Amino acid sequence: MHRTMVRAACASALALCLVASPLAHDASLHANPEAGNGSPHTAAGLLSAVNNDGPKSADHLRIGIWNTAANITTYTIGNSWNDWVLYLALDKLLEPSPYLSKGRSWLATEVVQVSEDARVWEAEIRQGVKWHDGTELTAEDVVFTYNLYLNGPANRWTHHVSDVPRIELIEQVGPNRVRFTAPRPMPNFDLVTAPEMPILQKKQWEGIEDPRTLEEPVIGTGPYKLVDFKADEYYHFVAHEEFWGGAPLVKELTLVMIKDPQTMFSALKSGEIDGAARALPPELVEEWKNDPAIEIAQAPSLWGTWMNMNLNDPIFNNRDLRYALSLAIDADEMVERVMLGRAQSGKHGWPHLDSTWTKPGMEVPYDEALAKTGLDAVGFVDKDGDGFRDLPDGTPFDWRIVVSTNQPLYVRAAEIMVEQLATVGVKTHVEAVDAATFNSLTTDGNYEFSISEITPHGLADQDQYVQFYSGAQMKALLESEPERKALYDTWWEADTRDARLEASFALQEYENKYPSRFMLWYPDGLFAYRWQSYDNYVSSFGYGIYNKYSFLPEAGRIGTSDSIDHLIEE
Amino acid sequence: MYYLRTVLQYALTLMVALAVNFFLPRLAPGNPINSLLGADVVETMTAEQVAQVAAELGIHDPLYLQFWNYLTGIFSTDFGNSILLGMPVWDALMQRLPWTLLLMGVALLFSTLIGTVLGVLSAWKRGEITDIVTMGGVLFIGSLPPFWLAMMLIILFSTTLGWLPSFGAYQLGTSFPRPDWFLGVGKRLIMPALALGVVQAASVLLISRASMMAALDQDYIMFARAKGVSERVIFFKHAFRNALLPLYTHVMMGLGSLVGGALVIESVFAYPGLGSLVVMGVNSRDYPLLQGLFVIATISIILANLVTDIFYPLVDPRTRRAR
Repeated sequence: MHRTMVRAACASALALCLVASPLAHDASLHANPEAGNGSPHTAAGLLSAVNNDGPKSADHLRIGIWNTAANITTYTIGNSWNDWVLYLALDKLLEPSPYLSKGRSWLATEVVQVSEDARVWEAEIRQGVKWHDGTELTAEDVVFTYNLYLNGPANRWTHHVSDVPRIELIEQVGPNRVRFTAPRPMPNFDLVTAPEMPILQKKQWEGIEDPRTLEEPVIGTGPYKLVDFKADEYYHFVAHEEFWGGAPLVKELTLVMIKDPQTMFSALKSGEIDGAARALPPELVEEWKNDPAIEIAQAPSLWGTWMNMNLNDPIFNNRDLRYALSLAIDADEMVERVMLGRAQSGKHGWPHLDSTWTKPGMEVPYDEALAKTGLDAVGFVDKDGDGFRDLPDGTPFDWRIVVSTNQPLYVRAAEIMVEQLATVGVKTHVEAVDAATFNSLTTDGNYEFSISEITPHGLADQDQYVQFYSGAQMKALLESEPERKALYDTWWEADTRDARLEASFALQEYENKYPSRFMLWYPDGLFAYRWQSYDNYVSSFGYGIYNKYSFLPEAGRIGTSDSIDHLIEE
Repeated sequence: MYYLRTVLQYALTLMVALAVNFFLPRLAPGNPINSLLGADVVETMTAEQVAQVAAELGIHDPLYLQFWNYLTGIFSTDFGNSILLGMPVWDALMQRLPWTLLLMGVALLFSTLIGTVLGVLSAWKRGEITDIVTMGGVLFIGSLPPFWLAMMLIILFSTTLGWLPSFGAYQLGTSFPRPDWFLGVGKRLIMPALALGVVQAASVLLISRASMMAALDQDYIMFARAKGVSERVIFFKHAFRNALLPLYTHVMMGLGSLVGGALVIESVFAYPGLGSLVVMGVNSRDYPLLQGLFVIATISIILANLVTDIFYPLVDPRTRRAR
């Protein structure tokens, strides 16, 4: 908490300096007036010792990526690690991000609510936008795309039209106008749905029986055209000459797949790549801070690390037990020992501290004594005298904390968690398994606790929060906790944005009191690049500095969170 | 008759291996849907949606049907589509097989040459300082974990000295058969082949040294010396030829361990071969991809063994007579 306050003070001081400096103009261009309730907690800027002034455009950049991107379609990219790669080629109705409190016009010149109860929305499609094959974007493409998400094979975007919210009719109501109708209010349509769904070309997709096996490069309207790729090896993009928003600043981008983090950062250091699109390990920050060739940027990436518990297990379907356990977790210690201070404490709870719809001032306290009292109250006492508590029926237990072996930081966090829980008499142990087994154990409910990361898609998207209740585990909580269910229903019934935000705040408050997951930390988004190759990156909420706006001219950057072209004084 | 029996034995081995290849990945916990959509998305999906995706991916079909499709696919080189890559498995394999063959071939050549030369040298200078230093040095390097050795090579030759590229198999932007393409391939082969070969070289050294020493202790060597044959002729013509037999077997059998090492080395160097594909397939439980990969690996190893068996009589006349 102290650290957060210091940062906030530093950020304020920095803002004052900027106003008085020649940089003030630039800063105002990038300042994010929509960044929610007060200023973001994670400052964006450079952590390097010196702010170098490198080129603002480039002919060719090579950027390392690490997560399988397959053939770069909405059916093979299924996560937030590399969706930015897809968005180089594909645009959305509104942009830049579903994690802000306002979407900016992009492929739609406007997205407006046309019914008072927020069930009907309309989008006016921008004219003159060209696909990569030279044909023009039409309202038909938009209708086709949304219908494909709704009725076609499921992918990572499906639930944004089929569940939260559930759209039942997508129709063209004018030459360039599309109407979206839902049975229930969707006051966040322009906030989440429209800035979330990438628009596909009807001509390319309508004849494809199995959309997961598209062999040709995907055709989009985005600033970059995919011209050549070998799945899981490299992806070569060239600037889309007819991009409606102006010519991109970098003419060619080659994304190379380097899965091993050490190899990727070695390649960056040796100059084989110009940027590394993965989080920089905290230990490298100090080492590289004074490196003359590399700049380190911090940008709100809205990621988090949390500890889940198996809510399918009736033991954990007890809100008082969960509350008591949450009091035993010292998230600050996690930040210091695991993240070397390069993160913010998870004590704030869920959602992400920097999210634009987060209720300010919430905090899950750390109170060992209260945790012990709480555990006593729910019947978890040491009956056999072995120094550890037993179940209410007297059965001893030793809960598993499952972690994936490919996440060494989480293994460390699990070890610390074992120590912390032991101080209140709860016996646990670490079980490290391979990534696929980890996923299997957690989705099948075959675990007690698990530590994993949570992406911006799950941590900073207001609709996604409620979407979690579609899963079996969270649904169980709705059935057993009437108070939670009432708040959930209120959220659904809210037909204005304010009412929905208010309902969301109430849900957050409840969630943080009786958590379904324990937030451990929110990592500082740390990224590295070679400034002599290109030095014009911008930070976008939820995407860090590797996003398409970093390669667009000024006009295309509207709505991005912050320029990173200033030093963060810690 | 011998050759027919040998081929039939290998055919039976192949059938058993193919069945194991199919069932083994499915026995491991996990499924490809989590990797494809992300665990946080899957968690929020309804059971119907998950079942729909499973059906689309073909992992919802009864096991016997999947097995039948797999078997028939092998004979038509149709292994289906990779779930994660979204492309035909056969295409993915053919794209990457040449790189693995190149890497393994160079590593095998390197390890055999270095291991044999040093092994023979050690045997020749048995008990002398050359023998002790060679043995100690090679065994030390050979006992290093290959991934660690690979990282050290990257730090030294790429990050610090800037002599060699740290990842990939060729320089992007160049194309076959331009000279810069060959240069790029060569530069990118050095470190992975070295990391892979050094480990194998240690075991080749041990075998060749032991074989040479055994050969040098034989009566016919003593007889040759008594006849006044020069040491050089004794060493290379009489001892080394006989010492080659166990070495030949060991090197051919070592192909299997090279395949295992390639998994790690290719991942570290982002080398686009079959090894890195195996790692991805295992981590994501991409069954069609794993099946295709294992079929290729199985056939390769069985073929290597078959070739070894068939050519053994040519190398060792005694086995010819025995058969």
